[in-house]
Amino acid sequence: MKIVDRRKSLEACTESGWDAFDLLTEEALSDEDIEGMRGTGGSFLYMKQLKKPFFKIESHNFVIKGVRGDSFFRYALHRDAMEGLEAFVKKFS
Amino acid sequence: MIYFNHAATSWPKPEEVKTAYMEAMNGLPSGQFRSAGVSDSGEIFGTCRARLARLLGTGETDRIFFTSGSTESLNLLFAGLKVPAPSIITTATEHNSVLRPLYNLTQIKGEPVVLPCDERGLLDPALFEEAAKKGKARAIVVNHCSNVTGAVQAMASIGEIAKRYGLLFVVDASQSAGCLPVEADLWRADAVAFTGHKSLLGPQGTGGFYLRSGVPFVPAKFGGTGLDSRRIVYEDGDFELEVGTQNACGIAALSAAAELLLSIGVPRIREKEKELTGRLKEGFRALPGLRLIDAGEDQGPVVSVQPLSLKPSDLAYILQNSYGIVTRAGLQCAPLIHEYLGTVPEGTLRISVGWSNTIEEIETLLGAMEEIL
Repeated sequence: MKIVDRRKSLEACTESGWDAFDLLTEEALSDEDIEGMRGTGGSFLYMKQLKKPFFKIESHNFVIKGVRGDSFFRYALHRDAMEGLEAFVKKFS
Repeated sequence: MIYFNHAATSWPKPEEVKTAYMEAMNGLPSGQFRSAGVSDSGEIFGTCRARLARLLGTGETDRIFFTSGSTESLNLLFAGLKVPAPSIITTATEHNSVLRPLYNLTQIKGEPVVLPCDERGLLDPALFEEAAKKGKARAIVVNHCSNVTGAVQAMASIGEIAKRYGLLFVVDASQSAGCLPVEADLWRADAVAFTGHKSLLGPQGTGGFYLRSGVPFVPAKFGGTGLDSRRIVYEDGDFELEVGTQNACGIAALSAAAELLLSIGVPRIREKEKELTGRLKEGFRALPGLRLIDAGEDQGPVVSVQPLSLKPSDLAYILQNSYGIVTRAGLQCAPLIHEYLGTVPEGTLRISVGWSNTIEEIETLLGAMEEIL
């Protein structure tokens, strides 16, 4: 998986009190990509039964969520944990 | 894409609205009273006021004033009415467009009296009476229809209490204008704030307020109006409430939207949206894994649910990205009501329907929710 761009999410209100970014990937997210992100830590939810499966990785200071097959996913984080986003993007760029 | 976020902003806009906007963009530009040419923009403003007055239930057509929307209207009203916040009775159902100005406007700063609602977002008029009886209040500010639960308040009763105790009665009709009967005169409202881009089907950046004639008011904004330009100081209190170049294109489009709504008729819109929300609530009741917040028979076109196994934000994300269905999750900019709904801190998933939605779209949403939950 390669992250090619990031955009500040317009839905920050949804992630109440957090900053949220949509991270754009070079290709559509695969099972392998999603599994690869699990190493980031936190709890893992993967609803494979859905037509377009939803995944979420959540820890106390960040949430990663997305849908398999999309070329983007959301990264939300506490405002004092921006370095986590930078490290994550660097790892997958 | 299926769109169920009309409580945030209505979409798609009717063709008549888009056409009116473009015609105004292409027409000879002129301000409300500044035209030296043949433009009929003054007529557009007056026509729009007359149509909005009908939709807001007032006969005082010339007391409709344009702003950029409800938030600006409410800020201007609170600043201009000059009632100190501690003398204002308001409610837990209010949007931040009411709460934030009340708590932060320097002109009126202080803490208002905030009345509770029940677990559906409904207000008890008796609590207004109880608060008014204490004798310190000077105004009541209340939301006609909750943007979170769709709860429709007993406005006539609350207005009656306001009159009995000599209080100003300010109504936030952001969620109701265009989809529910708003009766400013019947309710004896002194002011009504509205936005143009929700159920009024107009463009964003339009809206305004109604201010009853005779209500003491000092505007927070002053500037050019194209009238009596030599006058710099208003010594007689005969203030002008619309200053600066107005949003003529937006107002032309809003006027077209209001004309469309009047031709359809609010009762017909209400009937259709009630049918849609009725089916929605029936479907939600049958779904395990979520709690329906049912605001009763008179509920407006907004339905909130609390999913039990997923966060509302996750459910909204799945609906949008896996099923192409747009909803809204979170606190919906109305933080206090959630304490009474039991939905702190995640808020709810909100489905808000509009005139353009169909029963087939409701069935699609229910099918998607069944698969997810």
